[in-house]
Amino acid sequence: MITRQIQTFVARLYRQKDKLWLSIWTAGIVTLWIWNRIFLNNPAFEQIQSAFIHTCLIAVLVIAFCCILGWGAAIGLYVLERSQKKGSALALSFLLNVIRSIPQIIGVLVGYVFITMMLRQEVLQSELLVMILMAIVTSLFVFPELADLIRERIDHYHTLDFVNAMLCCGISEHRIIHVEILWKNSLVHIINKLIAIFGIAIFLQCSVDFIISVGLSTNVSPVNLPITLGSMLARIDSKQDILAIGYTLTHLTYLPNLFFQHLQGLTTALLIVFTLLSIYHIANGFAKRYGVLKG
Amino acid sequence: MSNRTFPYQIHISSQGKLLVEADRFDIPRHQITFLFGESGIGKSIISKAIYGLLDPQELDVVVNGIPYEGYLKTRHVVDMQADGFFVFQEPSSHLNPLMKLQDQLREGTLAQARTEPDILSQLWETTRGTGIKELLRVYPQPHRPSGGEKQRFLLAMAFKKIELYIIHASPSEQTMFVFDEPTGSLDNVTRNLFLAFLFNQFRRRPFTTLLITHDYSMISEVFKFHTDLVDSIVFKELTLNKNRLQLNEFSPESYLKWIKTNQDTPSSHKARKSRRSPKDILLRLESGISVFGRRLILSRYARSKNVSPLIIRRHQIVYLNAPSGVGKTTLAKLIMGLMRGQDFDMHLGEIHLTDATPTQFWQQLWGRKMGMVFQHADEALNLNARVKDIFAGLPYPEHITSDYVHRMLEEHFPLEVDYSFLNRPIKYLSGGQKQRLNLLRTLSLDTELLILDEPLNGLDFVSIKKMIDLLLTKQEEGKGILLISHNEEIFDSLGTADRVYLRAEGE
Repeated sequence: MITRQIQTFVARLYRQKDKLWLSIWTAGIVTLWIWNRIFLNNPAFEQIQSAFIHTCLIAVLVIAFCCILGWGAAIGLYVLERSQKKGSALALSFLLNVIRSIPQIIGVLVGYVFITMMLRQEVLQSELLVMILMAIVTSLFVFPELADLIRERIDHYHTLDFVNAMLCCGISEHRIIHVEILWKNSLVHIINKLIAIFGIAIFLQCSVDFIISVGLSTNVSPVNLPITLGSMLARIDSKQDILAIGYTLTHLTYLPNLFFQHLQGLTTALLIVFTLLSIYHIANGFAKRYGVLKG
Repeated sequence: MSNRTFPYQIHISSQGKLLVEADRFDIPRHQITFLFGESGIGKSIISKAIYGLLDPQELDVVVNGIPYEGYLKTRHVVDMQADGFFVFQEPSSHLNPLMKLQDQLREGTLAQARTEPDILSQLWETTRGTGIKELLRVYPQPHRPSGGEKQRFLLAMAFKKIELYIIHASPSEQTMFVFDEPTGSLDNVTRNLFLAFLFNQFRRRPFTTLLITHDYSMISEVFKFHTDLVDSIVFKELTLNKNRLQLNEFSPESYLKWIKTNQDTPSSHKARKSRRSPKDILLRLESGISVFGRRLILSRYARSKNVSPLIIRRHQIVYLNAPSGVGKTTLAKLIMGLMRGQDFDMHLGEIHLTDATPTQFWQQLWGRKMGMVFQHADEALNLNARVKDIFAGLPYPEHITSDYVHRMLEEHFPLEVDYSFLNRPIKYLSGGQKQRLNLLRTLSLDTELLILDEPLNGLDFVSIKKMIDLLLTKQEEGKGILLISHNEEIFDSLGTADRVYLRAEGE
């Protein structure tokens, strides 16, 4: 009986790829944590732990800010267009296009430079505030994706009788947009986008932190930025750990040492790659399970 | 198989979930079976299962206790497919977009039928195919023949197969012709041409036919012009009872009697009286609105050159008459303020509305002074909402309570309104159930003017009767109703419905 239940559970999990990859990701992170807890020295272990938590926390904050900015921009544009305020609609649309035209990584990099400068001038004191600012900077260059999705969903329902039929019954436009279109018909699309944004946020953060930590200019120092996976990866000992992989390719007998002596760099790299891969599969599985691609 | 009927027992499921189950689905041999029933309850899928058109890899189908892969190999199915024909509800799905229509009309065994010009002239009401020669040379895409033209091409293919059946020395006993909503895109004149041609062919040599339709007015056509065939025609109705389909006999007399008794209703007297009082005018729309490069002209008589405004009074039902594609729905949307047209001039009671009236002003009228039911329930309803959510957010005045709405639901969904029904997502309802909800959402409001676009779409006879009763109640209450419908016979029978004719100029 129990075997059958387990078989059913596994079969269902295998069909629902998002849940499968969420389980794989969680199991992988827990296994990595236990391994490092046993074999990695304590100061390095705590730094990796902090870096991972900081990275995830910033990515979650990016999701929150993207929701606010994306919703605000999409609804703002919709309201301005509907109320015939063409000048304001054009200005908002132009602003969004300007943001879209800036490569995300460049935009975030410039934002981080400002944060670092503020840190040097001791304007920013709290680590949490710094992380919030880092999240705001990232979301500034990511939110147009969510705004576009919200607009697409609203526009799609406007092409059907859906909106007109409800308007003619006296249902308020606010309810039609927020409850009938966004909540009841677009929630899975939005969640799917937010999962992707979580991945984008981690990728951007790691890339920018790495670039800054390697050294952008003599005036910009990452010293006071909260530690993240990107900055961990940029450390000299992490880089040496990564180089050890190359060494192993020509000296196979060195392989076991990777799992005990080069844990800091390998764990950091693995956390980044494994997390991004898992998020990719979670987003795809979620989209497939809820038929997001079918509309 | 019995000598007199094709008896079927059908079970269709997908991934363990039951989709359709019919314990007894009999099709009489060498007779024409009219199959009525609410839209979306499974008429098409049952007929496709019988005809061997479902994919055994996708669905778990069992017919007469035989798994589908085995059923597909039976002589019954092989012969039925070889000598019969299945006219699909959606003609676009049948036609090959990359093949000229004339080539498709002569594909395979269809080439053996030598009566093509006659068949085309019957369906197009032309002399020996003139006027459709151009159409024969086009590809379904990108030339895009109209829905009605595509439907007639499919019917022409079916008639070619019927011709082959008739002239065959000893045709297969298994042959069956299935017409799934064959007149959905045709106007009533073409529909009658099709019926007359079908019956004429049947008179030459009877063949087994299953004709699926929602159009109950075909019954009148049979009883008016084809009485000699009444004994060869069977009327059946498919109903859904606790997830099981039941095939019942449908009494054509019940429909004919109902049409007859509709003629004189108490509301008709009130309607006539109200015409004397000018203050009872709810809506006055001037003719000559320009939209999409055309002028929409209104008149009180067919083919009349005299222009007259559209006037709807209290207690009045006005039936908007126009051929397909002229702009009936466009006019309804103009009246509702959903579209803008030049020279638009309308009075809604005391309120004067023009093409310059801001949208915000119209918004205050929607659901309070005027309401509209859209023709496609699938688009008009939120399919991801639950049944109970359909009535949320409506601007009900104080006297319309949730009890009143609940009673309305119980009236139109007898024995169905319970916790599970109210919480069921709309997408899992049948097409007919969706249409009833679509209508009830607007009819539960207290608006003075109601515009109904194809309100009887997809409804079964019981639901049609109830909906007509509800419309008559609304009329009795003093509401003005503008109707757009192809169910001319039903609305003509009401007696109280006044006609307004619409035509477009300057195309």
